[in-house]
Amino acid sequence: MRKRLGLLFWVSAVYIGVLVFLALFRDLLPIRDPDALGIRTGDCRQFQDPGWNSYFGCDNLGRDLFSQVVHGVRPALFLGFTVTIVSGTVGTLLGVLAGFLRGVFDRVVTTIIDISLAFPALVLLIAVRASFGNGIVVFIVLFSVLGIPGYARIVRGASLSLSEREFVDAAAAMGATTWRIVRRELLPNVFLPVLSFAFIGFAVVILAEGGLAFIGLSLDQITWGKLINDGRVEIRDHPHLALIPSTVMFGTVLAFNLVGDGLRSLVAPREVATARRLIAEGSHQPGEEGAVVHVRNLRTVLHTPGGTVEPVDDVSFSVAPGESLGIVGESGSGKTMILRSIVGAFPLADVTRGGTVEVAGVDMLRSPDATIRRTLGTEIGTISQNPLTALNPVRRIGDQIIEPMLVHGTRSKQEARDRALELLEQVGIPAPEQRLREYPHQLSGGMRQRATIAIALANEPQLLLADEPTTALDVTVQDQILRLLDGLRADRGMALVLVTHDLAVVKGFTDSVAIVYAGQVVEYGPTAEIFANPQHRYTVALIRSMPNLDLPSHSELATIEGAPPSLIDPPTGCRFADRCPAVQQKCRDESPVRSGTDAHSYSCWFPMSAQPVEVS
Amino acid sequence: MAGTGKAHLRDGATLEVHDLVVEFPGPKKSVVHAVSGVSFDLNTGETLGVVGESGCGKTTTGRAIMQLEEATAGSIILRGQDLCDLRGPALRSARRAMQMIFQDPVSSLNPSRRVKDIVREGLDIWGDPDGSFSADRIDEILDAVGLGGADVGERRPHEFSGGQCQRICIARALVMDPEVLILDEPVSALDVSVQAQILNLLQQLKDRFGLTMMFISHDLAVVKNISDRVMVMYLGKVCETAPTDQLYANPAHPYSRALLASIPGHNLDLPPASELISGELPSPIDPPSGCRFRTRCPAATDRCAAEEPILQAVGDDHYVACHHPVAVSL
Repeated sequence: MRKRLGLLFWVSAVYIGVLVFLALFRDLLPIRDPDALGIRTGDCRQFQDPGWNSYFGCDNLGRDLFSQVVHGVRPALFLGFTVTIVSGTVGTLLGVLAGFLRGVFDRVVTTIIDISLAFPALVLLIAVRASFGNGIVVFIVLFSVLGIPGYARIVRGASLSLSEREFVDAAAAMGATTWRIVRRELLPNVFLPVLSFAFIGFAVVILAEGGLAFIGLSLDQITWGKLINDGRVEIRDHPHLALIPSTVMFGTVLAFNLVGDGLRSLVAPREVATARRLIAEGSHQPGEEGAVVHVRNLRTVLHTPGGTVEPVDDVSFSVAPGESLGIVGESGSGKTMILRSIVGAFPLADVTRGGTVEVAGVDMLRSPDATIRRTLGTEIGTISQNPLTALNPVRRIGDQIIEPMLVHGTRSKQEARDRALELLEQVGIPAPEQRLREYPHQLSGGMRQRATIAIALANEPQLLLADEPTTALDVTVQDQILRLLDGLRADRGMALVLVTHDLAVVKGFTDSVAIVYAGQVVEYGPTAEIFANPQHRYTVALIRSMPNLDLPSHSELATIEGAPPSLIDPPTGCRFADRCPAVQQKCRDESPVRSGTDAHSYSCWFPMSAQPVEVS
Repeated sequence: MAGTGKAHLRDGATLEVHDLVVEFPGPKKSVVHAVSGVSFDLNTGETLGVVGESGCGKTTTGRAIMQLEEATAGSIILRGQDLCDLRGPALRSARRAMQMIFQDPVSSLNPSRRVKDIVREGLDIWGDPDGSFSADRIDEILDAVGLGGADVGERRPHEFSGGQCQRICIARALVMDPEVLILDEPVSALDVSVQAQILNLLQQLKDRFGLTMMFISHDLAVVKNISDRVMVMYLGKVCETAPTDQLYANPAHPYSRALLASIPGHNLDLPPASELISGELPSPIDPPSGCRFRTRCPAATDRCAAEEPILQAVGDDHYVACHHPVAVSL
């Protein structure tokens, strides 16, 4: 906890703790009467400087500034605390009800919020003070009313999105009353954001009192604002009279803000922006002639704040022109990281890559940046899972297709335009002339994915990398997109690497397949061969767990018990051992070596062909 | 409109849905026709699979039955009582008889509550009339969904994987002893091996507790595995309904055939999907006249534009809403 919140948070919390102590026990402390006139009692001279006799010095009447500042703590905290409680409670309730009930109630609350935020608060303050005097209750009521909209607004926003969550629907389906849903499902989840906002609101109240004191509108007791205002007159000759209370107030406001920020970071952890570095280890092993992409002993290590992760561990494959490779695995298996390792695109983290990645004869790990960029732009096309986020929402489709051609200077502007039109036709987008001028939101999901394919094809790449290209699409659209990719591969002789979790997609649309488990390729070979004659126990389990149209309904499916191992500290031996029905002691002790043939290889000590093995 | 008609309804069903219409306000005062006259029923102990692509109205139908969306017209009759007539406390009370499982298991659980509080929520609301739901009973239900273990109830949802969270959701629903369980894409967010675990679990629970389920999914292979009967929907209408093996062996509606033909790597005796469906899904704001599938159907004629097909029997318990259904071999 301490580490997550940071030192400043704890220093601030201790500072606030001291203030609370002073506010509660000031009358028990051995300090002077703040109103005692030192020039009369002889305790303090007029404008005495800070010293051992008087820690913060004395004012024009010899009153002790230290005890005055200490006496100012209680009104500051009392005002801040009561205002925060009142406005926080009322604002939270209004906000949560507006966000959950919506409709008329929401419209009324938001209208009131909008009006009150536009209202000149200072004018209201002056008017109210003129009518009701300067007792602390007047200030509490006034500040609370002014504070409510802020709370109501953030809580309403949070409640709107929480109400969309299924657990709120589930509670309603259970027959829970509105009040119960608000109390059990919504309030606990807005508590932390409200608390963080409350600390910042607390600080605002303390500042506001100071501001009012500055124009002579303060409480009827000693406050920091008053001290600052009084000291201001003597700022030239006796700066300590204004500076000391100002510093205390500044420190208090800062402390409350820091605690509020700290609490907010618990709700929405800030991205730690580590410098991103790509490091290459080992040396390049040139690939065999004829492969478009050649990966040999690829090892990728991510250095994250949470530890070192190795999502790609000794991965090898190659794809020839016109061939397609499927990379299959479950979530967290590292299949996407294999693609990222080819193009060198990683989330914010330092990354070390070792081994060989060669695309169209270029060493993608160790070549100069310009060479790698050129290869990425002209030899590799990429297609991602979500076409909506892959496309820039504020640029026309046509401009986005033309862009890669202009950036890499492969075509003139006019040629690029003609080519964009041709590409849209090839990817099966009707009325291409019109589509060129449209924006992504005007296209359906399937059409958007076709547009991203057109962008990927712009520079006639030799290699197409597709990461779950149809996962977000409906089944009839998926069929169309897969057929399109398959046709493009065949017609243009491109190499296609298709990353997916869906075995059916791989079975229907790839020549070879790599099965990935916990960062390793556990089986690799021709698709038809692997489906007909799987060797690795994980491959077998995966194929059997897939619901299959050839099975009658209500067939029991094979399952894989347990969960994959953590990639932060993977187990020794076979990584599938804990979940494997055929596990032996050897599997836990020694990492399996790759066996089989070059065409069909697998890393399993007891593959299916090595029968008999006792299956538990 | 493809798919009104009630010829397929049976007597004495647990849940009957008659002519359900759900409309939402669209942009510029238009109306989104999400569900347009859907009728079906569910017998006790039966699993009905509802398939179709996004925008077909399958999820909206499920949510309307749960009273999470307001039905514009039609009736939803559970054991003789029309839920659409109920308001306030009577509605809350009727809701106990139906429970829903959602697609995103993580989002379905309140992150700030402990598992045992989540699971016993229904009992906290409705009390525990015969005292049968002791703490032991909660443990028993957690055990039934495969989450047996000493401290499971004390933990919070973020400590569990997606598949385990879905098990917690199922436990929460089972505590209510529901007459109808509506599952909206319950395995779509899960990996294939975990998906198999949940499907097997649902089948076991059905055999053990006699669950009546409406299983909504876009995945035809999953639906085939879990369902006794299947209903195919398109753009707010029912296209076809039949016993599962019958529908997969002999799809009669052109859209059902297109859906099946689109499954990658299937071994069905069907032409390529590209010959069975063309074009794009029309807008539900302005759906086509007559049969809603006609704009994409290779067999469409003038009659399909003029006249809406009504569900009619083409085989034993096999109904299809099409003017030109593919002949069914029996």
